[in-house]
Amino acid sequence: MADDAARLESLLARSALGDRAAFAELYRATSSKLFAVSLRIVRERPLAEEALQDSFVNIWRRSSDYAAAKSAPLTWMTAIVRNRSLDIVRRTREEPDVDDALSANLVDESAAPARQAQARRDAHSIQECLEELDADQRQTIALAFFHGLTHSELASHLRKPLGTVKTHVRRGLAKLRDCLMGKVEA
Amino acid sequence: MKLSRDAREALAAEYALGTLRGRARARFQSMMASDRSVSDAAARWETAITPLAARIAPVEPPSRVWRAIEARIAPARPQAPSYWRALAMVSGGVASVLLAFMLWTFPAGNADPDFVAVLMAPDSAPRIVVSMHEPDLLKVRMVKPWAPKEGMGLELWVMPKAGKPRSLGMVKNGMGETVIHVTHTDPRVKDAVAFAVSLEPMAGSPTGEPTGPVLCSGVIAPVRSA
Repeated sequence: MADDAARLESLLARSALGDRAAFAELYRATSSKLFAVSLRIVRERPLAEEALQDSFVNIWRRSSDYAAAKSAPLTWMTAIVRNRSLDIVRRTREEPDVDDALSANLVDESAAPARQAQARRDAHSIQECLEELDADQRQTIALAFFHGLTHSELASHLRKPLGTVKTHVRRGLAKLRDCLMGKVEA
Repeated sequence: MKLSRDAREALAAEYALGTLRGRARARFQSMMASDRSVSDAAARWETAITPLAARIAPVEPPSRVWRAIEARIAPARPQAPSYWRALAMVSGGVASVLLAFMLWTFPAGNADPDFVAVLMAPDSAPRIVVSMHEPDLLKVRMVKPWAPKEGMGLELWVMPKAGKPRSLGMVKNGMGETVIHVTHTDPRVKDAVAFAVSLEPMAGSPTGEPTGPVLCSGVIAPVRSA
């Protein structure tokens, strides 16, 4: 695992120098994982191909930014693919703005110091923390993450009211946060 | 207007999870662009949640995807200076074979170096091996010297991930080793990705940047993880 990360890191560093052979190797090493990630979210192969293509063009252009990222290389690349995929489904599966209440929760907090909780987390700890959630919260969060379900899709899939599903997501995420922070501090 | 910390965390978490959609997602992205605390929160959540994707079984994409990517990145970056292009010539396969060979030929009894860079000339011939040894020894070993040129010498450069090359001083153009004292925390080696050697006046580059031709260069290969 660590060797893989070191290899991907050096391929990214060489890509940042304009080394196309290294970038091709980076693609070969990661494209099947990343294609699967996108396919789960966009659900149609042509859209997943588009997301993968856009993401790799982005990875090539932003490869020199990786140094500043605090995550493993595959995590950094996966986040780019997930974001591109979510942007693509936004175009095709637009849903009503269900997050207005949350977004509207604006207060002027310019005086409050930003709390830095910068720390490394790995797959192990997020997996562990996911296991610690209530069954409802875990199921809801896993469906959202792995299948790209929106709040209303979650509600209809789970046959639960929208408000209940949103509560599961929000409380589950808050618990995940506490759990991850606990692990980091431990 | 700023988001309260709780709202920022909640939105960043849903953004990373993927449940923030539609206009709310677009709005959050514009907040990320304008507010560092928002983009930091999103990056933190992404780093925390994304590794879950390791569980997803891989699916091979069709080969047309790579062909399309290749076509889109095809034009060379016009702003890339010549020494970066010189570096890009270092092919991975050749370099790693050389690296294995160089490591094998390190004198017995020497502790493994932290990293090694095999500096190759444009014709792919290895000319210099740079290696870092605890606690602060950077060894520059000549493989094949250049024909001496009156009044000119070899200057060693650190190529950082971003920004201009940084000089580590002159190295001897002759068989043997030049040892330079550099610690890992030295600002000159911060974010180093490669080394290069250029032909400069004996007193060093007058501008502080490479002025002569780049004679050889090579990317850094870590030997043991820090």
